[in-house]
Amino acid sequence: MLNTFQQADHPILPKATADEAARQEFAKSFKGFIQSTLLPGLTPVYQTRVAKKFERTHGRPPADRRDIRSGMVEDIYFQHYAAANRIAQELLWESVNGSIDRQLPDLIAKARELSAAAKAQLVIPEGFTPPRYVTALDIHCMPGGYCSEVCQDDVSVGALYDRGVYLYAMGYTGPNNDDMGRSVVNYLKRHMPEFKPRRILDMGCTVGHSTLPYKELFPEAEVWGIDVGGPCVRYAHARAAGMGLEVNYAQMNAEETSFPDGHFDLVVSHILLHETSGKAMPKIFAEAHRVLAPGGLMIHADLPPFDLMDPFTQFILDNETWYNNEPFWGAMRDMDQFALAEKAGFDRADVRFDTAPMAVMEFAAAAEGYSQEASEAVAEREFTAGEFAPGGGWEVLIARKPMDRKMAA
Amino acid sequence: MTGAQDMTQERPHVIRHARGKRPEFYDTPGLDQAMAMIMTLANELSVLRDRLDSAERVAKASGLDLAAGIETLELDQAALEEREARRQDFLRRLFYLQLKDADEAAQAHTAEGFNQTIADIALQD
Repeated sequence: MLNTFQQADHPILPKATADEAARQEFAKSFKGFIQSTLLPGLTPVYQTRVAKKFERTHGRPPADRRDIRSGMVEDIYFQHYAAANRIAQELLWESVNGSIDRQLPDLIAKARELSAAAKAQLVIPEGFTPPRYVTALDIHCMPGGYCSEVCQDDVSVGALYDRGVYLYAMGYTGPNNDDMGRSVVNYLKRHMPEFKPRRILDMGCTVGHSTLPYKELFPEAEVWGIDVGGPCVRYAHARAAGMGLEVNYAQMNAEETSFPDGHFDLVVSHILLHETSGKAMPKIFAEAHRVLAPGGLMIHADLPPFDLMDPFTQFILDNETWYNNEPFWGAMRDMDQFALAEKAGFDRADVRFDTAPMAVMEFAAAAEGYSQEASEAVAEREFTAGEFAPGGGWEVLIARKPMDRKMAA
Repeated sequence: MTGAQDMTQERPHVIRHARGKRPEFYDTPGLDQAMAMIMTLANELSVLRDRLDSAERVAKASGLDLAAGIETLELDQAALEEREARRQDFLRRLFYLQLKDADEAAQAHTAEGFNQTIADIALQD
């Protein structure tokens, strides 16, 4: 199946010239080629060369993903695979970055104009310090990360993320780049049709793409997206306004928000947790519990824990830790999320993992570039390491806050 | 003042490099850089092919079927010679270092001799 998905335009999305678009499309194709055609070769290389060599050297077969990695990094096929992956990532950002640089002053002016006309709030406090886990390295190797500002009212890294992540996901985030939010929204609609949250918080919302489907499903609700990246929430606010949705955005840390106790009925996040840290993640669970009203839901959409997959698959996925500036990617999957939720105040019986099928299916035949065949192929595929959303669904951790507040003794 | 300098001073620009030490994948020094350059070239080749495809489609929409014309075009002798010369020139540039190696062999240039010349000129001649 050829991936020819295309991102839908919106007023603040950077526009590409024909050559820039071709450059970006190549980066997306190259990523797809690596995953569909180069990646499968790693299995026979491992089985016939690397595992045997490891056994000869160590007198035992490789036991875990660390053993596998130690052997694979010396193999030329893996070296080409990993180098190609990294280069694709660099080509991807550069292909978008050059396009944004050309139109940056216009993008900033357009964002100002859209935000000024919006009724929804944009809160960017003075002197906000983003946490080290997002500033020490540029996550995903995206130049500037989430927080860098090159001038006043800058939105460049927001624009870079919006376009770049679409290419990174090879279109599997859907035409509006909102597949994760839309998938969780669809999950709620199908499994909890009675649930009608009055206030919704999206933690670590970046450019607010996943936040918008919640506003669409619950138009009466007060919806907030928060992120530590100032340029991201600034872009998010303009983006939502440009798409005609009234969503509030704030530069805020999910570990410690400024919302009152019990303010929200639904707290969500989408691929946030693995970009935090071992110390931050428990605090985020605790904060979600604090701001939830009794009976409210916490839903984190991320990727499956390591104990649900074999060591070779773990090894493939863990390459992101080493080669894509994601220090917490592997460590997060080793954490006991049930225990974390329990420690935050949720009852263990009210915590579960589930799969929210990818909403990209919903676009079958509805939008140009989303053929029925392509979307079915997405939905029906098996779990394959290295894909953007393995197995056609998002892993969601769901916890309900107990109705009765437990009083401290 | 040049336009590029004006731009740098008068307007903001995006950040081009991601914070974080880049890993090396190959044992051979320089191969990581060479692979990145090869893929960048492949990228531009793909861009160029897309642009030609666009040219064919725009021409067709204007009533000129360039693509069909290209497929049925018969090259005359002058065109054949021009193309062959262009291809040979391209291959000479592509294999520039191999040809340089052969040239050095023909002139009996060696790394030792080269270093000796530098030492001689720097210290004696």
